[in-house]
Amino acid sequence: MSRLLVVDDEANIRLLYAEELKDEGYEVVTAASSSEAVEKLHEGSFDLAVLDIKLKNESGIDLLQKLVKERHDMPVILCSAFSCYKDDFSAWLADGYVVKSGDLTELKQEIARVLAKKAQKAKTGV
Amino acid sequence: MDQECCWNRDVIEKDDCPKIGQGEEDLLALKRQRNLEKCCDCPRFMKDLKSMCDDNNPLAPVLIDFLAEYSRQKIQIQSLVSFLDNKTLEMRFFHELGSVLQSSVDLDEVLSVALTAITAGKGFGMNRALLLLADRETGMLSGYLGIGPKNIEEASQVWDEIVQNDMDLQTLAQNFRLNKLSSERAKFHDLLEQLTVPLSNKDHILIKALDGKLPIMVESAFQHPDVPPEMARLLGVDTFLLMPLITRNRRIGMIIADNCITHRSITEEDIHSLETFGFPVAFAIERASLYDKLQIELNRVTEAGKKLKEQQDLIVRMENMALVGRITSSIAHSVRNPLMIIGGFARSMLKNSPESDPKRSFIESIVDETDQLEGVLDEILNYSDSLYPTRDFWDVNQLVETALSDSADTLTSLGYATGYAPGHDLPPVYIDFKQLSYCLRTVLQNDINVISNDLSIVISSQSGEDCVILRIDDHSRQISQTELDRLLVPFSETRDLGTGLGLALCKTMLEKQGIPFVAQADVQDGIRYTITLPTRKEEQP
Repeated sequence: MSRLLVVDDEANIRLLYAEELKDEGYEVVTAASSSEAVEKLHEGSFDLAVLDIKLKNESGIDLLQKLVKERHDMPVILCSAFSCYKDDFSAWLADGYVVKSGDLTELKQEIARVLAKKAQKAKTGV
Repeated sequence: MDQECCWNRDVIEKDDCPKIGQGEEDLLALKRQRNLEKCCDCPRFMKDLKSMCDDNNPLAPVLIDFLAEYSRQKIQIQSLVSFLDNKTLEMRFFHELGSVLQSSVDLDEVLSVALTAITAGKGFGMNRALLLLADRETGMLSGYLGIGPKNIEEASQVWDEIVQNDMDLQTLAQNFRLNKLSSERAKFHDLLEQLTVPLSNKDHILIKALDGKLPIMVESAFQHPDVPPEMARLLGVDTFLLMPLITRNRRIGMIIADNCITHRSITEEDIHSLETFGFPVAFAIERASLYDKLQIELNRVTEAGKKLKEQQDLIVRMENMALVGRITSSIAHSVRNPLMIIGGFARSMLKNSPESDPKRSFIESIVDETDQLEGVLDEILNYSDSLYPTRDFWDVNQLVETALSDSADTLTSLGYATGYAPGHDLPPVYIDFKQLSYCLRTVLQNDINVISNDLSIVISSQSGEDCVILRIDDHSRQISQTELDRLLVPFSETRDLGTGLGLALCKTMLEKQGIPFVAQADVQDGIRYTITLPTRKEEQP
């Protein structure tokens, strides 16, 4: 079972993600801020992280850079209410980008795609 | 002594004096005046005087001496009067010329006056005048304007006309400018063109005269060592005058004047008068040229001021738009999260509720409405993005292939077949790639409800004049032109046709970039979208 870390400052969104992704067969751990996310990362390993870009007074992009530096083997999907960050150079570090929607199909597809790619890489080294 | 002459009679008859002519009858009774004006030239009086000498009258030889001196002084006075009359006329002419030249800042008008003055009988009466102007930018002395008849027939016609009309200098010049300037330009065009000389050619006689700042009278031009044979051949005269036009120490130009028709000799007095005339003409030409330049600069400054004002307006507008964009974006963000939560949980509940649940239709309504609102939110965010198009040169094929690739999953899942026929050697197009991609995706995936059996979309591109024409033929949509037109109007009520919001936004976005977007509907064949992409970088509309 893949272990996912969901970082979003909205409690209801964390709850929605947790419920929906659990239904998809993932183990989901949530965090409300960058610092909480770092704590969770120290507590255990994750197969993938889903990050919101706007985290109250913090930036999800900063957290992304930190994760890429420290946990370069863990893929990250950015999830944002804005589509404009898709063209932001700094957001290109992420493995996927999804615009928030009540229909989580796209997010679920993206998680499956990124995890499959990670598994393929682990298997073939490419 | 018998007297042959009537000099000693108080009153005489007309036949008594051979010197009194028509209109001088009053002298018949004015003895003193008649003696002074007529007798001294009269052969009869001289005969009487000789008889007096023969009779040894001692006063006779003295009187003869007095008469000789009187005659000499009379001729001298007549000559001086004639000279003064000429000078008075010349002064009047210069005064008239000066008034006309000073009142004009139009180069053509000044030149018309100057050349008319040289050739008019009331002026210097030369047969032909050619004006050459010095251009410091090109470093050339170039033929600019000529005036004068080409042959004796034309000369007679022109001179008769002038005599009949009896015009003053200003009227003559105005007449020349309005009626003759273009034809004279055409007449002398070839000659003037060949009279162009580099200012650096110090050996050329024109440049020598210009640098020497003094007129040069050229005689025996065909044998003259300083006159190039081709110049003598071009002018076709043996004698001509070169009159440099100088202001302060600046070389303005040159007048070449001659009497190519009458072959009247050019006198020292002509040269002196023309030299005097040259100064005001040179100043007037310089002033008119400076005024022209000033006018050009003024137009530039006015244009720059206008552009600056436009830029200021644009900055203010952009600041306003940026503010609107930031507000829109902030609202959209605040709305999207709750919307996502409502829609997400509604979907979750729907997924877990049995088909028989009577409340299922309520949850379905919540899901539909949140979908609709999310669509509106996307439109708003896309619109706020569209306020700032970032244009550059892009490859059309890349644009189409990206849009097709982005839409592939959606279209394949709906059973669509797509194809692209690229044109040959397409030039890059000047567009906002992101906005154009959005528009193509929207056109490909638009949710117009009425679907036919033919689920095919064919894209083609071809080169046009300064553009690439992109056509998207969507055979799947069956809709009338009226309904399609409604979809192209923002915020019109089109829910019966599907949300269709994207098409109106596409049209707005493209029009903001100055890109024509045409959508033509045919109930049988579907919809053809034509997008004309510019290949040239032009100013933002």
